[in-house]
Amino acid sequence: MSAPTTSTSGPLRPPDDERRAAAGRAAGAGKATAAGPANRTARRVVGTKIPRGMRGPVAVSLLPGIILFGTFFLVPFFVLVATAFARWGGLDFAWIGLDNYRRMFDDPVFYKAFGNTLFYAAASMFIQVPLGVAVGMVLALRPRGWRTLRTIIFVPFVISGAAYAVIFSMFYNPRSGLLNNVVGALGLPGDRDWLFDTTTARWAVAATFVFIIGFVVVLVMAEIASIPSELYEAASVDGATTWQQLTRITLPLLRNVIGTAILVRLLVDIGMFDLVFILTAGGPDDATATLALYAYRAYLNGEWGYANAVGSVILALGLVLIVTVRRVFRIGERAL
Amino acid sequence: MRAIRTRTARTTTARTTTAAVATATVAAVMTVVAGCGSDSDSSASGSSSDVSGDGEVVITCATCQESPTDPFLQYNYEAVERFNEEFAGTYRVDTIENANAGSSDDRLQYYQRLALADDLPDLFQLNSGEVKALQETGKLHDFAPNLENDDEWAGTFHDQAFDALMGSDGQIWAVPQQRDAIGIYYNVELLEEAGYEEFPSTWDEFEDLAAELKAQDKIAIAMDGDWATMLMWVNLIGTQPDGAEFLGEGIVESDNWGADSAVVEATERLRDWHVEGYVNSDAFSGDFQNAAAPYLTEEAAMVANGPWFVNTNLKTDSAAPGLYEKTGYAAAPGWSEGDQGTVVVSGAGWVSGTTDERKLEAVEAFVKFVSSEDEVLKQAAATGANPPVKVDAAAAEDANLEPLAVGLIEEAAELTYRYPHVRVHGPAGFGTAWKNLWPAYVKGEMETDDFLQRLTEDAASEAAG
Repeated sequence: MSAPTTSTSGPLRPPDDERRAAAGRAAGAGKATAAGPANRTARRVVGTKIPRGMRGPVAVSLLPGIILFGTFFLVPFFVLVATAFARWGGLDFAWIGLDNYRRMFDDPVFYKAFGNTLFYAAASMFIQVPLGVAVGMVLALRPRGWRTLRTIIFVPFVISGAAYAVIFSMFYNPRSGLLNNVVGALGLPGDRDWLFDTTTARWAVAATFVFIIGFVVVLVMAEIASIPSELYEAASVDGATTWQQLTRITLPLLRNVIGTAILVRLLVDIGMFDLVFILTAGGPDDATATLALYAYRAYLNGEWGYANAVGSVILALGLVLIVTVRRVFRIGERAL
Repeated sequence: MRAIRTRTARTTTARTTTAAVATATVAAVMTVVAGCGSDSDSSASGSSSDVSGDGEVVITCATCQESPTDPFLQYNYEAVERFNEEFAGTYRVDTIENANAGSSDDRLQYYQRLALADDLPDLFQLNSGEVKALQETGKLHDFAPNLENDDEWAGTFHDQAFDALMGSDGQIWAVPQQRDAIGIYYNVELLEEAGYEEFPSTWDEFEDLAAELKAQDKIAIAMDGDWATMLMWVNLIGTQPDGAEFLGEGIVESDNWGADSAVVEATERLRDWHVEGYVNSDAFSGDFQNAAAPYLTEEAAMVANGPWFVNTNLKTDSAAPGLYEKTGYAAAPGWSEGDQGTVVVSGAGWVSGTTDERKLEAVEAFVKFVSSEDEVLKQAAATGANPPVKVDAAAAEDANLEPLAVGLIEEAAELTYRYPHVRVHGPAGFGTAWKNLWPAYVKGEMETDDFLQRLTEDAASEAAG
């Protein structure tokens, strides 16, 4: 393992074998770029003609996927959208137009849940992703023990949300939790009920997941490994400092992966349920409730139509986020 | 030409293989998808009898699975084994593995969905609140005719044993599994150290004791923001002259519990215990183990819970050595001398979702079996719960029932007040609303009127389905 200390090797130089592979990819990419628009058109997939005799088998082959997609996505999707306009409690069913939405928009708890959901999403976007990117970039420098660090950072990501919530409920326990013990040892008041005080509850919940950065770190490290080392070598020759290489080469080339990480995190967070449910059940006074939890409460009450109306809002929010983040980060467009 | 033929042959072979693979895949997917719609373990309630080859009527039970952690489920499992042995060739109970067998927020929804699909198990258990909600599906069997046709069996039950399990027109939707008084466990030694030889008989005395315990750096009473806290709220309401009436009727009929002075006084008094620091600092977690733990480690002097606490906590390794021997079990103090009271509950009851005559015969045989003197004593020994039927005193003594629980149920008959738990007659959404609002109220973020108004509304709306 080579220590990336010299400016000629670039600040984020991948190991030799990876660098060779990246150089090969970069060479290919360079040719394509140099070829201009005509070449881009040539690379666009215009569709493959299926031989006449194969159309039947191909159609049959697609059928399982279509059935599964229809059964587990399309049908629930249409049920959700349709019953959002109904009073459906299991025992009765009646179309009620927009009543569910009127009730939702008149309910202050809905706004609290909506605000909390956005808060958690924002915490991911502005804390978790930047932190993950920063750590990923540092680990890509291959400092001593980076493999161990990467594993340690990734482990929380593979722990189930429910188990994680239980661990944190013990951590925050005001009587016996580690946090208050540490706070108390520092000479500060060590009896705060972090999860059931309206001033701290939301932050305490957010703090349980914003530091789970393993997913972003791994994503960033994988992307950095694919950046051609020639870029850094050229920049070094031109006199660029390590910081300049980091901010003007690496970061811009991470645009796609940062956008993807943000999108994934946002979509996970707008449906956040298990963590909040186990930690606080949405309390105190709905200070930590999310839209998913709000929908769940309605579902528990047998108000399935209302729960689905809330679900449709989550769905709409997800669509807005997908479109916005894709546009802002131009996800899918080549960085080079 | 030969090359073309070879290519054609290859294409044909590939086509045949692809088609075969695709067909097999589709068949497999269809099988899986079709399988999703039915539960091979459950039986449709309206279907004809499941009768085995030798004429044995088979019924399903959704709360009879083996459980290493839930003594009630474990008892049910063992009772089914005994029933199957005794009635071999005539009736047999088959166990359905059910993730919602124990108490959970999802349990009612689970059975409501099965009721809609006309697929309720032949036999399962619900608490009184769930019985009230599920009776609206019209899919529960009414046991009233069974009891009317068998006076001897009906006569074995304690008075009012069915109260919380009945419909408005006299239907009996469930056969009770237990009848318990729920009191307050206390550490005799800690009370003695605080200068109390006996458990306080008034709330004022209780608060004096709590203040003394606090001075000794002990938690006076452990709470959890949920079950244990609600028990004390109920005790504070129920030991007032009109308290039992509120807990039985007013809690459903009133659109503002804050209009009831008994409720206001009880609520504020309970809040003040938190403010004064008489309770554990993690008293809002909603996890009973956070209330049990300080009692079991002798950090707390008191905790409210039912008789099952003995087997599930007091007699386990989690308890400090010798704690069981120094534990007493008392009724709630009163607002004035001699006005003590206690919660009396029927707990869970056996219900049936079948309409098939032969299966109903098997269900009746089973509920009679589990409510027989022999079985209720076995259950009491296994779970600590008290029998819903009258038991011969000598038999009870021989069965070596839990003395703490037996003592309280005997004492309950002499107390001024006996009242139901809020979960019996209260709105089904009470628990969720309470857990959400109580911490904010205690921390001074809303006034009592506001808290009780919101509690009334949220509990009702969250049960509105």
